[in-house]
Amino acid sequence: MTFSLFTSTALVLGLLEAAPLVLAAIGFTLIFRLNGFTNVAYAENITLGAYFAVIFNSMFGWNFYAAIIPSALLSGLFSVLTYLVIFRPAFKRGVGKTELIILSVGLSFFVRYGSRLIFGNDLFNFTFDNPSYLSAFGIGITSIQITCIALVVVISLGIYFFIYRTNYGERMRALADNENLAMISGINPTKVSILIWFIAGAAGGLAGVFYGAFSFVSPSLGYNLILIIIMVTIVGGVGSVRGSLAASIGVGIITSAVTLLSKPLYGQVVLLILFIGILKLRKVRI
Amino acid sequence: MEQLLSGYVIYSLAFLLIFISLATLLHLQFSLAGIVNFGVVGFWGLGMYSFSLLLVKGKVPFVLAVILACMITGIVSWILGRIILNLDDQAVLVGTLAFATIIEYLSTSEKWLTNGVMGLGTVNFPFNFGKKSLLVYSLILLVFTVLLMLYTYKLKKSPYGRLLLSISDNEKLSQSLGKSTFRQKNIFFTFTCALIGFFGAMAAPLYSFIFPRMIGSGVTFTIWIALMLGGRKRLFGGLIGVIATIGLFDYVIETVIPIPTQYAEIVPNIKFCVYGLMLILVLMFRPFGILGDKKMEIVK
Repeated sequence: MTFSLFTSTALVLGLLEAAPLVLAAIGFTLIFRLNGFTNVAYAENITLGAYFAVIFNSMFGWNFYAAIIPSALLSGLFSVLTYLVIFRPAFKRGVGKTELIILSVGLSFFVRYGSRLIFGNDLFNFTFDNPSYLSAFGIGITSIQITCIALVVVISLGIYFFIYRTNYGERMRALADNENLAMISGINPTKVSILIWFIAGAAGGLAGVFYGAFSFVSPSLGYNLILIIIMVTIVGGVGSVRGSLAASIGVGIITSAVTLLSKPLYGQVVLLILFIGILKLRKVRI
Repeated sequence: MEQLLSGYVIYSLAFLLIFISLATLLHLQFSLAGIVNFGVVGFWGLGMYSFSLLLVKGKVPFVLAVILACMITGIVSWILGRIILNLDDQAVLVGTLAFATIIEYLSTSEKWLTNGVMGLGTVNFPFNFGKKSLLVYSLILLVFTVLLMLYTYKLKKSPYGRLLLSISDNEKLSQSLGKSTFRQKNIFFTFTCALIGFFGAMAAPLYSFIFPRMIGSGVTFTIWIALMLGGRKRLFGGLIGVIATIGLFDYVIETVIPIPTQYAEIVPNIKFCVYGLMLILVLMFRPFGILGDKKMEIVK
């Protein structure tokens, strides 16, 4: 393999890998920024998003692109539900930060194995109407992958605009920075929180749908990604949506480059080792 | 009687002992030193794999292999501790989880060393008493578990135990009193992780064949739920919790209740689903578990 082919393959595969990761990282960051804890149950949001799309696509026979919208809405609703039923009461009870993470792990297991009871342990594939095969920089790519990447770009730009340019985004950032001050300024914390959890959940669900579209849908889809997502948000600077965007693209490219050079699992191992090192170097409070 | 002693009951009890020890060690790490170790299975798996490799491929004697496995686990956890232990709880949690994932991936991908998903074996008992081998081995495990419980009990009453408690309670204050908290935490982390590796090595002969899927995140999670359910602040929290989770699910329900074979594969799903629900309920309504929290005795 020549060097230029290697670079372009790594780039294209890396971007493909990064596209859904960007969405997941943005959603995860939003919750982290707002409530300040690592929500492991976010993994199940991703998985459920993919399953919702499977229901609409395979069982109801909808077009794949038409199935995206209701799955995003449903996973947003699921996210709000976890907030209202589990996390909000937990905040009110004054559960500590570490216990909150353990709580979210519990929720994650509950939902993951609960959905296995419903959907079984099988893998699902989406059905597409006549995909066409194209070539980019000498690498084969399907029209579905291109459309998905375009959608990811549009959606993440939309979320970015929402957070940094609109009134609601400002309220959310105000609430994240200082809850009391935000409340004095007349911001309704519950309303804003529900909105943020909805957006985060919808973004996670979409990430799951796109992951499923690139490969397949499995019960552990989200859980296999959550470590990488946490990593991306830490590397990108905690709570920074811009940083997560850059970091997910970087992570995607590094993984595919290492995977091209060696065995598939090495990409993950190298990333995780790098990640532990970065934890130390940055000394960030995650 | 003979059959009972060599059979399933003893085998189940031996596993319970292993998990009770792990939960007690987690109790030491989490409740005493405040280390949020979400990679228990990583250290356990490292101990198990390095022991089995030494024994099966290296032809090292049993006891020496156990000692070496402990040392390997200890050294690796010391390095990991150096990197992450002076960061905050969330970083420690994610760091240890990442470590466990690395171990799981490597055990799958390094086929030349671990045989990958084919499994590594056979790990035999260090002695041969015929049908009584399992019973004797379980008694040895029992001795180690009791020793560990005794150590935990003594440690909590000792000045060193109070030092660790002060670190987990208020690290800044402890530092201002001149304690080198990072160093103490790392030493304790290394020691307890080496013990986790020890119980990993001791578990290997019970399995006799080692597979990467044995060291998945489910093990860590099961130990956590057991400790949180039993009572994370209490000496017997891990013991009660393991009996109430693994004991109840894996042994009582699966042996006593006849499950039709077509439903056999959904039993683990139900199990983890219920575990998750239990963890949520415990944290919401009884944060200190079944045994609750005990006020610290005032030392005179």
